[in-house]
Amino acid sequence: MDSLVATYSRPAFENEGYSSDEQQELVQAMPSLSLSFSLPPMRNPSAFLRALTDDHANPQCPIKLAHGTTTLAFRFQGGIIVATDSRASAGNWIASQTVKKVIEINNCLLGTMAGGAADCQYWLAYLGIQCRLHELRHKRRISVAAASKILSNLVYSYKGMGLSMGTMCAGVTPQEGPALYYIDSEGTRLAGNLFCVGSGQTFAYGVLDAEYHYNLTEKEALELGSRSILAATHRDAFSGGFINLYHVKEDGWVKHGFRDTNPIFWKTKLEKGEFSNVTANL
Amino acid sequence: MRGATILKASDDKTKQLNKHTLMAFSGEAGDTVQFAEYIQANIQLYSMRNDTDLGPSAVANFVRGELARSLRSRHPYTVNLLLGGLDPITKQPHLYWLDYLASLAPLPYAAHGYAQYYCLSILDKHHHPEINFEQGMKILRMCTDELQRRLPIDFKGMLVKVIDKDGIREIDYDSSKQVLSA
Amino acid sequence: MASLLSSNPTLASNPSYSFSQAPQNAAAGNREHAFYPYTDNGGSTLGITGNDFAILAGDTRSTSGYSINTRYSPKVFRIGGDDETGEGAHIILSVVGYAADGTALKERLNAIVKMYKYQHGKRMSVKACAQRLATILYGKRFFPYYVTAILGGLDEDGKGALYSYDPVGSYEREQCRAAGAAASLIMPFLDNQVNFKNQYSPGSGVGHDLEARQVTPLPFHEVEQLVRDAFTSATERHIEVGDGLQMLVITKDGIEEKYFPLKRD
Repeated sequence: MDSLVATYSRPAFENEGYSSDEQQELVQAMPSLSLSFSLPPMRNPSAFLRALTDDHANPQCPIKLAHGTTTLAFRFQGGIIVATDSRASAGNWIASQTVKKVIEINNCLLGTMAGGAADCQYWLAYLGIQCRLHELRHKRRISVAAASKILSNLVYSYKGMGLSMGTMCAGVTPQEGPALYYIDSEGTRLAGNLFCVGSGQTFAYGVLDAEYHYNLTEKEALELGSRSILAATHRDAFSGGFINLYHVKEDGWVKHGFRDTNPIFWKTKLEKGEFSNVTANL
Repeated sequence: MRGATILKASDDKTKQLNKHTLMAFSGEAGDTVQFAEYIQANIQLYSMRNDTDLGPSAVANFVRGELARSLRSRHPYTVNLLLGGLDPITKQPHLYWLDYLASLAPLPYAAHGYAQYYCLSILDKHHHPEINFEQGMKILRMCTDELQRRLPIDFKGMLVKVIDKDGIREIDYDSSKQVLSA
Repeated sequence: MASLLSSNPTLASNPSYSFSQAPQNAAAGNREHAFYPYTDNGGSTLGITGNDFAILAGDTRSTSGYSINTRYSPKVFRIGGDDETGEGAHIILSVVGYAADGTALKERLNAIVKMYKYQHGKRMSVKACAQRLATILYGKRFFPYYVTAILGGLDEDGKGALYSYDPVGSYEREQCRAAGAAASLIMPFLDNQVNFKNQYSPGSGVGHDLEARQVTPLPFHEVEQLVRDAFTSATERHIEVGDGLQMLVITKDGIEEKYFPLKRD
């Protein structure tokens, strides 16, 4: 009888602690390729997450995630210009002035980062893995359309869970030419010539729209991209730091510097007479 | 506008205060016109009593004072203002930015509401203190084009007024052309 | 008594349950509201790198609310050591925020770095460890570790390496970083003294012609003094910082631990 009971009964605390599978996963040196995220043990995890991390809905939230940005990208005859600022803020605190908001997915695809820093970093790295797998499976580079669709489908599957990202994918492929896509965590995916994303987007749009046309020269395009970010850093408190500038061409992207805004601002003001609202004399 | 209905397409949201001061206003319906007319009447009264016009700086500070007084009353006016004028003595142009909390700032260029987000960066880049009238109009066109392009609102036309040494005049401004983003 | 029992259907109709098997019906929805598995244990951490070393430091006070739990609870740990003393470790980690999450994170990273060594027969590089820590943190994106982590070590070239994280795993390599309760007090000081922000070469010009002071990696004894100054000052002005300063210094010769007392009031 005792042996029968022993065979069919379970210890009361059997389900506590980690199962052997879970223990395996916890010490796995390589993260598993299938995605698995732990969830709080409750009926409405996203409401819990929001109360915890969304400083827009709840300024007293305990976990402040890095936010706030200006990023832009536009197509022109010579390829695509991608430019960003470099500030990350958590509430009013400037968490970093040196964030790399242009994410190099591979040597011919770029992604930009707006919204949650970790979301963008993680999912664009994930996208990089998927693009490489595509190359290995199909023996040719992935199109920007396909890459952006992988990302948009992915974030759409997490819709409502609290991801926050507004990103642009820029790349040049033989079949598409220069291609630019906007993807956000709502699931929007748009192809276009010109996008600005982030809290400083309107200021960047102002400068960019006024002088943008497809036939810009490379020099003009780089200058316009950089000047649009400067405009946003000047007017939007959540943008600032350094101007990160990239040019995407057929044979991959080229980096055009990570330059401090402050000297650029004073150079622009003093040499071109712009920013006439800033005066030295009171 | 009332709810989602446009009541009038060509409403003049400016008031001429004296020969060379003009005030543009936006904000709470009712408050705007009441306050603007109150200010207009008082500035006109001053001109009549003293047989001289107040300069833009004096007018701006008077308006700010009235806004500040109203702010501490039971029913404050919710009005945002832009006040432009030409100083009758020095012949220098002045622009003042006032909001409903009675902040006053003299600026080379200014905007209220969503226009700030789209236009200030354009003005930062293209405005210079020495620009002439034509260049000014060109910058204004850039700004209104940007608003038509990016704001999800149809303005139903714009009203443009110019203040110069000859006084205040309205000029024709065609904003019927559709502007699309690139 | 009967009415009291019957008013609670789970008690009346069933035998008692162990907690993990308790039914999730009825009142669970209301109870869920009070579920809040986090607290802030205060304290601050800081990391600075030099040419051939990295320092991670943290105060040793642990608080909850206005009470002090203990005056010695370390926030800086050795990762990938051979035994519980951390002997043989080549990476250091600091965690600040919710101490239980911090401990869990440290344990987990430690296990992973060790498993890496057993599986691959070589030590995990700091760069790889930094990326792995990011995925660990992001794995709890929807139920975050309430911690800010800083990871330190030496890179492939033997230079000091420092990686800073947000609670859900966005990370960046930096020269210096302060985290935790007194981050806003310490970080501006570090910007000025380590990265020479807003410092100019004297006599290099007037106004806009002034040249910014060149950033050069600092020698160890200067960095150590900066760390100590940062914490004595933070202790003066922040209630959650104090008691002791624990410092781990990583060089090519291994990890050295130092402890300096701070004010205990």
